[in-house]
Amino acid sequence: MSYTLTIETTGDEVEVAEGQTILDACLRAGIWLPHACCHGLCATCKIQVTDGEIDHGEASSFALMDFERDEGKALACCARLESDVSIEADIEEDPDALGIPVEDFEGVVTRIDPLTPTIRGIHVALDRPIRFQAGQYVNLTVGEEGVLTRAFSLASNPHAPGAVELNIRIVPGGVGTTWIHEHLKEGDRVKLSGPYGRFFVRHSAKAPMLFLAGGSGLSSPRSMILDLIARNETLPITLVYGARSREELYYHEEFEALARTHANFRYVPALSDEPADSGWTGFRGYVHEAARAAFDNDFRGHKAYLCGPPVMIEACLATLMQGRLFEKDIYTEKFFSAADAQQVRSPLFRRI
Amino acid sequence: MDMPVTKKKKLGLKERYALMTRGLGWEPSYQPIDDIFPMDRFEGIKIHDWDAWEDPFRLTMDAYWKYQAEKERKLYAIVDAFAQSNGHLTLSDARYINTVKLFVNGFAPLEYMSHRGFAHIGRQFRDVGPRVACMMQSLDEMRHSQTQIHAISNYNRYYSGMAEFRHHHDYLPYLQVPKSFFEDAATGGPFEFIVAIGFAFEYVLTNLVFVPFISGAAYNGDMGAMTFGFSAQSDEARHMTLGLEVIKFVLEQDPVNVPIVQKWLNKWTWRGVRLLTLVAMMQDYMLPKRVMSWAEAWEIYFEENCGALFRDLARYGIVMPPCVEQIRLERDHLSHIAWCHFYQARGTSDFHVWLPSKEDMDWLSAKYPDTFDRYYRPRYEYWAKCEAEGKPFEATAVPMQCQVCQIPMMFTEPGDPLTLCQRHADYKGEQYHFCSDHCRDIFEDEPEKFIQSKIAGHEVFKGNAFRPGTDPTAEGFNPAAEALAFFRIEHGRDNGLHNGSTDERNFALWRGLAKAND
Repeated sequence: MSYTLTIETTGDEVEVAEGQTILDACLRAGIWLPHACCHGLCATCKIQVTDGEIDHGEASSFALMDFERDEGKALACCARLESDVSIEADIEEDPDALGIPVEDFEGVVTRIDPLTPTIRGIHVALDRPIRFQAGQYVNLTVGEEGVLTRAFSLASNPHAPGAVELNIRIVPGGVGTTWIHEHLKEGDRVKLSGPYGRFFVRHSAKAPMLFLAGGSGLSSPRSMILDLIARNETLPITLVYGARSREELYYHEEFEALARTHANFRYVPALSDEPADSGWTGFRGYVHEAARAAFDNDFRGHKAYLCGPPVMIEACLATLMQGRLFEKDIYTEKFFSAADAQQVRSPLFRRI
Repeated sequence: MDMPVTKKKKLGLKERYALMTRGLGWEPSYQPIDDIFPMDRFEGIKIHDWDAWEDPFRLTMDAYWKYQAEKERKLYAIVDAFAQSNGHLTLSDARYINTVKLFVNGFAPLEYMSHRGFAHIGRQFRDVGPRVACMMQSLDEMRHSQTQIHAISNYNRYYSGMAEFRHHHDYLPYLQVPKSFFEDAATGGPFEFIVAIGFAFEYVLTNLVFVPFISGAAYNGDMGAMTFGFSAQSDEARHMTLGLEVIKFVLEQDPVNVPIVQKWLNKWTWRGVRLLTLVAMMQDYMLPKRVMSWAEAWEIYFEENCGALFRDLARYGIVMPPCVEQIRLERDHLSHIAWCHFYQARGTSDFHVWLPSKEDMDWLSAKYPDTFDRYYRPRYEYWAKCEAEGKPFEATAVPMQCQVCQIPMMFTEPGDPLTLCQRHADYKGEQYHFCSDHCRDIFEDEPEKFIQSKIAGHEVFKGNAFRPGTDPTAEGFNPAAEALAFFRIEHGRDNGLHNGSTDERNFALWRGLAKAND
């Protein structure tokens, strides 16, 4: 039994399982609510319930006063749903979020490209087009039983919504990606749902854009850059894209061509483990090092979009912040997995 | 008078907050702003954009009164019920009352100091956002001080050592440790104060202070203290969020701020943990029903939580303060060194001490398998033998104290628990003494400040610890007795051993009366 939670502030809808707290459900859905102690004592996560029934759980009578309970206040970290519920919460409205509802889609695999020895480009023709914001992801149903789903960013241009592309790296030992690499073939039918996520370009900021991508984390930035170019964006756009070696660097020629034809697009590829004698004349090192060199350690005034493995993200965050670009101008793909929930995190940062 | 008619019935949270904070400020027209706010520049912190200040906890004054009033009603209902039902007789053991004494003498006055500090800096920032936040915290701190004193006043009606808490905090030697800690912060500039207290103390170390006292109260049947703990905790969250906002704001404004903030974090983490020596001792030795050991609390609240914090701060280029290495080395020694010291110097404190029982020592050796049996159990067994022979050991000499933290120089060399640690520095022809490299570093960074430290032992020798009119040349003058009189310690009642004390006797007597007929 689950109930639907509507966050009126943003219009988001979240499914909340029985016994699950509002805070837990929101965080897992990628919606950040202010919170600190997580067990009903500090009142940082206070929200307003506008409709429906909740159970206050272990909320302290000092953190949530009787008069506040009468007014419909609740602590998200303890409150559990007893019906469908609507709340107002202290969430910043995002003028660039289109709030596209999640739907289910089906389609057929039209092409599988071996982009690199470990990454495949899966092209799917959908039965009906999907509306999404460049940078968002879908949940793809994988495996023979059709019960597992895996999240993949859409790598294609949202201006071509009927044929989508996913770039999928094989994760050693990973059930989902192994199935895709070993069993999925052209002509197969697939199911997916989406679009999900709040990783998209903040057009309203009207600021130069910096994309930092590593490995198959290129998917979202590629979609975002193709979208920007289709919109005839004139602000400076930079893509710093890193891979281990030249053979793992894909869509390299496409970005080089774009850089030649678009004066406002700059492409900085970086290889971290390319043989010294390979003839590679581009940057050698990690993405964050390439970015620091390309911007002379000064990122002020930009909006940065980060997508890649956690180690790369962490190194890039430190580089950006030490180059004077801070949380409000940095966007990353952030998924809350069970492992994240167990990891002790400080509340210093909200989104990154 | 024409009142503008507004169609909107109620302002949103954000609008109301904006009007009640930034809306209260104004641009000065006939005075230069640097003259109005002369103190927020000299520390070297550069702020370019005060508008980037974002108070993360939106609370306006009108909501504050309503909220705190209900909290206070709840708290006093419980405190009164505790008093009326002779709640003090339901405590786990009479020894617990000494924890209450340590709290009211050592920590409740710090809340008041914090109130004064925030009120002071709430005047000093040129931007209205941080000024309002500091004012709110200032009010919180005063309330905390008051509610703590009120809750504990119940005990003062029955037991010794609490009636003169304010005088003791000002003069009693061991209480100069907490007092000088806050005076150091309050005499810094506004940014140092808010980093020291708002961040280092209220955020980094707050759980290490509060959890032991409040859980200790809960475990030992002290409903009053437990309730003010919960009452305060809902404010602490606001203070912690303010501390985080301060640190982010300052670090993001200008790169020159980063090394200044790092220096303050190094200093205040060390000063804070030195102060926590008192809490470590309380946790390991003074709670009849224990919550967790100091070592366990350190692992959870510092290594785990603050480890995560410093990993995040690393993005700004901030590193874990180097003193943490030494704190780790001292982790399994701190509480034992302190209790040994208080046991020996029991004549000059305002609470009672005792030797750990065999069961206590078994717990300690289980919690501190690498240190307790090897270094500390033999001392307690020797002192127990002295007590049994009717010749309890007591140290009556005035100890040498560290010029910075003011703790007697009782700590051992990091990694070498059999060698006493002493450091020295010369400044303007005088020699100064320190308990550690870190306290000496703090001194050498600001020697003009720390040569003014009032060292309790020196004050006795200088004749400043006697009541007015005392004649040190009089026949039979006893300086130790006179100093105790000045400190308002009644020898034999307020200090000394718990076993055989008036408090122990009275507790047993009253509890007996409460539980039996005649």
